[in-house]
Amino acid sequence: MPRTCSDSLGVRYLKTSEAAALLNVSPNTLRAWERRFGYPKPQRSPGKHRLYTHGEIAALKDALQEGLSISSAVSRAREGLSADADTLIGALSSFDRERADSAMEAALALRSIERSVEEILLPSLEELEQRHGLDSARWALAARWASDWLRRAQRLTPPPVRRVSLLIGDASRDELDPDAPAIRALELLCARAGARLLCLSVRGIAGLGDALAVAEPDAVVLAGGFARDDEVARWAYSVRSAAGALPVALYRREVLRPLRARTTGAAHLSSAPSEAQSQVLELVEAGRLASEKRTSPTRLVPREKRAG
Amino acid sequence: MSTDAQGQSSLRVLQRDRSTEPLKVFCGHCGRSPDNESEADSRVCTKCGLGLMLQAPADAAPGPSDPFLVVDGALTICAVSRIAERLLEVSETEAVNRHVAEFLVPADAESSSGESLASLLAWAARGETPSAQVVIRPANTFGVRYWARVGPCGPPTAALLVLADAR
Ligand SMILES: [Zn+2]
Repeated sequence: MPRTCSDSLGVRYLKTSEAAALLNVSPNTLRAWERRFGYPKPQRSPGKHRLYTHGEIAALKDALQEGLSISSAVSRAREGLSADADTLIGALSSFDRERADSAMEAALALRSIERSVEEILLPSLEELEQRHGLDSARWALAARWASDWLRRAQRLTPPPVRRVSLLIGDASRDELDPDAPAIRALELLCARAGARLLCLSVRGIAGLGDALAVAEPDAVVLAGGFARDDEVARWAYSVRSAAGALPVALYRREVLRPLRARTTGAAHLSSAPSEAQSQVLELVEAGRLASEKRTSPTRLVPREKRAG
Repeated sequence: MSTDAQGQSSLRVLQRDRSTEPLKVFCGHCGRSPDNESEADSRVCTKCGLGLMLQAPADAAPGPSDPFLVVDGALTICAVSRIAERLLEVSETEAVNRHVAEFLVPADAESSSGESLASLLAWAARGETPSAQVVIRPANTFGVRYWARVGPCGPPTAALLVLADAR
């Protein structure tokens, strides 16, 4: 029985050797499958080692018994994956929050939280938005459910391990804004990557300096496309005057004209939360390296390699 | 779907006692047979790592250089050997879950071999042992013909289509 590790939501991970042993193949074979079939698709640990979800490997093991080729087994295992999104869409369409929770639990049995969010939760919401529209009761329920689910997952995330602090300026309208679940997802993934987070609406400016004195952010993310440019810029200037010049990144937001004129350019993050999370941590690291060149290093942080 | 009895008469298939037939184990991708018992016990081919170990009656099983496909009872493709991938210019990952007729069709359109091929495959996919051959060609190519030998294989039970050059 291989030793497995599991994370805060109970997703069990296997190292390459453990996954290979469970499938009764060599680690080389497992890597050859990843190249040829794109499956199973491991996560990377901070040390760049492959981590397979136990459920994905178990599903493949069953599929290999029932299949006539690796290709057909992989296809069968993948069908199971797309079934989870269908179940979630079905549950939310019929206003069944419990069944939606179960669908995510099933999704988590087969893949990591990052992939469950990016491959199941967010695409299901997009599908519901397209089918029913943002002014529908179904979207209202789905958006509320997703927000609750993502916040709950974030609460279950272990305390931050990196000395990285992020300030997220939430420029979305409210919970029904289609950017809102993606912003919650970015928060969750950054928290899971070990960052300390403070997420504030860009509408709250009074007392912002007090918040920054506590949070000591290393970077600022302006997230969401609803708030007007001048509104966001005013907030960003308040941050700048309280905390100095910090790296700024835009998430799900087009160019911010008033801001662009006075900063050295804000980085655009990928709209996919896992990629955006890697990018924002790289931005922090780049900002630190630049400031270390200027001043003596007082907060040296070991260089973390980007996963993936 | 025709009954076994009808199928048997129209296809003139000889049904044999399978329990006495020698079985051959081979890889569904590279076609190679295991060298020892532990290799034979493995579900995944230990030689190439890219195929599942299958078995078939020795006279239906492919030789080391024979291209072959595995087809289920609904005539969808479940496996394409490495040599068949090259021959049909399609990768197994593209071909699985597609109907065999997208890739292989009877070579003589006027005869009833189209139905015969489908019936033979469906019959073999139920584990029966037809001893019949049909002439087929790639669906996108004229002037190339193959003898196709059809037999059962598995597990799970499916039809094995071994191709041999018929020029
Ligand atoms: Zn092989």
